[in-house]
Amino acid sequence: MSHFEIDEPGKRVLLMGNEAIARGALEAGVDFCSGYPGNPASEILEALARAAKKSDFHVEWSVNEIVALETAGAAASTGLRALTAMKNLGADVCADFLMTVNLSGTRGGFVLVTGDDPSAHSTTSELDTRNYARLADVPLLEPATTQEAKDMTKWAFDLSQELGVICMVRTVTRISHSRGVVTLGPLDRDKRSAEFSSQDLWTSGSSTIECMFHSILHEKLKRAQEKFEESKFNWYVGKENADFIIITSGTGWLYSLEAVKLLGLENEVGILKLGTTWPLPEKLVASHLKHAKEVLFVEETDPFLEQNMKILAAELASEGVGPIRFYGKKSNHVRGEFGAGTGELNVDVVIRALTEIGKAAYLSREKGYSEKAEKLLGSYVPARSMGFCAGCPHRASFWAIKKAAKWDGRDAIVTGDIGCYSLGMLPTGFSVSKTLHCMGAGIGTANGFGNLREFGLDKPVIAIAGDSTFYHACMPALVNARWNGSNILFVVLDNNTTAMTGHQPHPGTGVNALGDSSPRILIEDICEAIGAEVRICDPFDLEKSVQNLYELLQNEGVKVMIFRHECPLAFPKEKKARVYVDQDKCLGEECGCVKFCTRVFGCPGNIWDYEKGKAKIDEVMCNGCGLCAKICPAGAIIVEEVT
Amino acid sequence: MSSIVVKGSRDLQKNVLANGLCSACGACTNLCPYIDMVRGRAVLIEPCGLSEGKCYDFCPRAYVDVPSLDRFVFGSYRRDLALGSNISVMKARAKESEVRSSAQYGGAVSALVTYALETGEIDAAVLAKSQDRISAEPTIARNRKEVFECAGSKYIVCPTVAEVFEATKQVKGKIGVVGTSCQITAVRKMQASNLEVEADKIGLLIGLFCTWAFSPDAYGYIRDLVGPAKVMKIDVPPPPANIFVIQTEAKRIEVPLDKVRKFVMPACNVCFDMTNEFADISVGTVEGKEDWNTVIVRTKEGEKILQGAIDVGVIEPKPLEKDRLNHLCEASLTRKRRVLTETEAEKIAYLTIREEDKFKIVS
Repeated sequence: MSHFEIDEPGKRVLLMGNEAIARGALEAGVDFCSGYPGNPASEILEALARAAKKSDFHVEWSVNEIVALETAGAAASTGLRALTAMKNLGADVCADFLMTVNLSGTRGGFVLVTGDDPSAHSTTSELDTRNYARLADVPLLEPATTQEAKDMTKWAFDLSQELGVICMVRTVTRISHSRGVVTLGPLDRDKRSAEFSSQDLWTSGSSTIECMFHSILHEKLKRAQEKFEESKFNWYVGKENADFIIITSGTGWLYSLEAVKLLGLENEVGILKLGTTWPLPEKLVASHLKHAKEVLFVEETDPFLEQNMKILAAELASEGVGPIRFYGKKSNHVRGEFGAGTGELNVDVVIRALTEIGKAAYLSREKGYSEKAEKLLGSYVPARSMGFCAGCPHRASFWAIKKAAKWDGRDAIVTGDIGCYSLGMLPTGFSVSKTLHCMGAGIGTANGFGNLREFGLDKPVIAIAGDSTFYHACMPALVNARWNGSNILFVVLDNNTTAMTGHQPHPGTGVNALGDSSPRILIEDICEAIGAEVRICDPFDLEKSVQNLYELLQNEGVKVMIFRHECPLAFPKEKKARVYVDQDKCLGEECGCVKFCTRVFGCPGNIWDYEKGKAKIDEVMCNGCGLCAKICPAGAIIVEEVT
Repeated sequence: MSSIVVKGSRDLQKNVLANGLCSACGACTNLCPYIDMVRGRAVLIEPCGLSEGKCYDFCPRAYVDVPSLDRFVFGSYRRDLALGSNISVMKARAKESEVRSSAQYGGAVSALVTYALETGEIDAAVLAKSQDRISAEPTIARNRKEVFECAGSKYIVCPTVAEVFEATKQVKGKIGVVGTSCQITAVRKMQASNLEVEADKIGLLIGLFCTWAFSPDAYGYIRDLVGPAKVMKIDVPPPPANIFVIQTEAKRIEVPLDKVRKFVMPACNVCFDMTNEFADISVGTVEGKEDWNTVIVRTKEGEKILQGAIDVGVIEPKPLEKDRLNHLCEASLTRKRRVLTETEAEKIAYLTIREEDKFKIVS
């Protein structure tokens, strides 16, 4: 049993932020959980699924985020407690439902957890989902510590249920993925029953009814604000009635505290830490703006607090607030490597802001620190660009796509999508993909590219998507392509798992979130039903793959090529083949291939033996796929099946 | 070889492939993972980055330096501007009528290759084979049976030289090659190149007279004409017939040449070499004589093998009539004249010949 599940109230345990959120849901007695995997939120559902194996509540990976929110919303409308977790861009996917279920309300506690990814470590956008709370007029909580991640999640259920509105909890990568000590509360084991009778109406209404619901929503928000004024998640530390205050939320709290301590400004600066950030606890904030002459905002990504506070300060101008000098993103004092409003916060960012404002003189790092550190560590850290894993079938697929497009010779347009194969834009995917947006945008934009013949763009169009992305966001665009006569080749990279987010199941795997067997919905069945020409091939059969792609490119209409080979990390072989280089056969630097195996093919298993000037296999890295042996022009790579 | 600078795959792409000058001979494929042969086109998948490459050096459309290649093959520059360096020109045919019956004309090529294999002059021969007598794919033949399976002309291009590279890996001894002018030129360039280490395995080169070849796009057209019937022979009789003939088991189909010209490889239009001038022995038709071949003996090696074959009675020689020889020379010169004029007009500069020769041919 994991720490986050144990039933010992008062016990202090070390939890990952996402586990703490899951624990909060357990303490709130959650009945129904849904989500779609995505960094940094994936482990929330994974933890809940582990717990659900032993208890009696529902956990599912939904096909995408809007279905996740809808399915959980329905559960909440019957009086159950429901949670949906997703990454920041998932909020975009579910926004349509969010913008109506805010109006229709909820009977049970209904919590939406969004995981933002400042610096976009594993995301295509630094989207700040707090804006959705303001847009949807729903309450927003922002945990600053692991303990708060648990406590706020639990409280979000109570708040949602009491107010009758969905409540958002915004976490970020450094909250979700760091570990902290959490004092556990009691688990709620009450069994609720779901009720929905023919007398019930659950709707956002329309016309005047909608306006009425909208007004009711504003009332709910006002009640939330009243509660926030008293919330234990907001506090002020430091010098009483300070002239200079930092207003912060989320990770900014600990960074600010540490920066102030490091600079010795405890007796000069006050810190107002807010955990309830929409709607603002205006009275609490006003009481501190009154004594402030300067305010620094420290928050992840957008100037959310900054802008809302400035509006508030303007409103309070007639009540003796101000004039205040504001520092933050607008003033460019709080900024990342690429400017204000980009990149993750850290202690250094806060220190630099305080130093530039003139509160202290401090160099966080001595001059030339980075160069020195690089020199020191350089020899220990292997230089490696982002790339597919050893034995990844995507490498074979992209080489096949590259070849087929060249064979075709009409300068094909290749649109990429979201997954491990997003790397298809980089040298590891032979720079094959030329576009990358949100999930499903590969085939969506391909619809357009494939329908521009009358405007003079008559090129083959190849859209790429993974299996999980296929179910998540590709089906409507595939139908559209067929319906509206787009001429496209859709390549589905089916590795039988949602690999990038940590090998979660999807509708094609025959397994659900709990690991129980479930109906298998086959990609080829769906594509054939749509009327597409479908072929299936193992990408490691390189010749056949290229030939199939090439032939499909010559055909008109909607064609689907399914490259099917399991992710070797999710499904490790019991006996992997031994691959090695026969260095007598390897022509070394003399070979016309110009080190194809290490320079172009780029598998981490292929390395160069500098002493001998010959190719070599790193047998620890190698997954035994043998693809490099098929490409080596000298036939120097040997695959030895292990029996 | 000469003052010509050897370049890499980027230049091959720019100077040859992008200009539609690839003759699909196969000289740039099967060397590295970067170039594939696709339906009669060499395709560069990704430039390897080398500034000098075999692909460029062997390519018969990247550059052909005729004076240098003459000196490399024959030891001296040509005296015969019409047919290229040669020792003798004659008529010849396979003595066995059985060989002739499966061959295109006189069966001289099949007989010579078989003789060379059986006497150990070569250990294997790279030939063009056809499953259905329409398409063509290169193969390595090691005995009489395998040679005869390759008899008969193929009119669709065949990347024979790619298979020569394969043969240098597989075959321990000498390798013979039967090919069209571009293919034999490529093999000679490979022998002359500083970049090739296996060239000493190359033995007898038998060149076929060639005026053009079809791109693989012709396959579907021919298949449609023929239907399910089995093709026995495809032929383009010498002018003035101006027809393309397909002989099936059941009937003879004639198509005006103009109807199939669209399938001719653009690379063939810039070829100045009708009689395969860098081969050891060149073999073609004899106008008006279906069961004989015209044979041009060019090198000492070629002469030795032909003489051997005559001595043991495999090949039956006859003098070539004077008017036929004149006709052949005139046809070859006409072609050279057209190609030199056209390539100059279109600024296609792969061919290097002496200025004075150019003047003599054109005027």
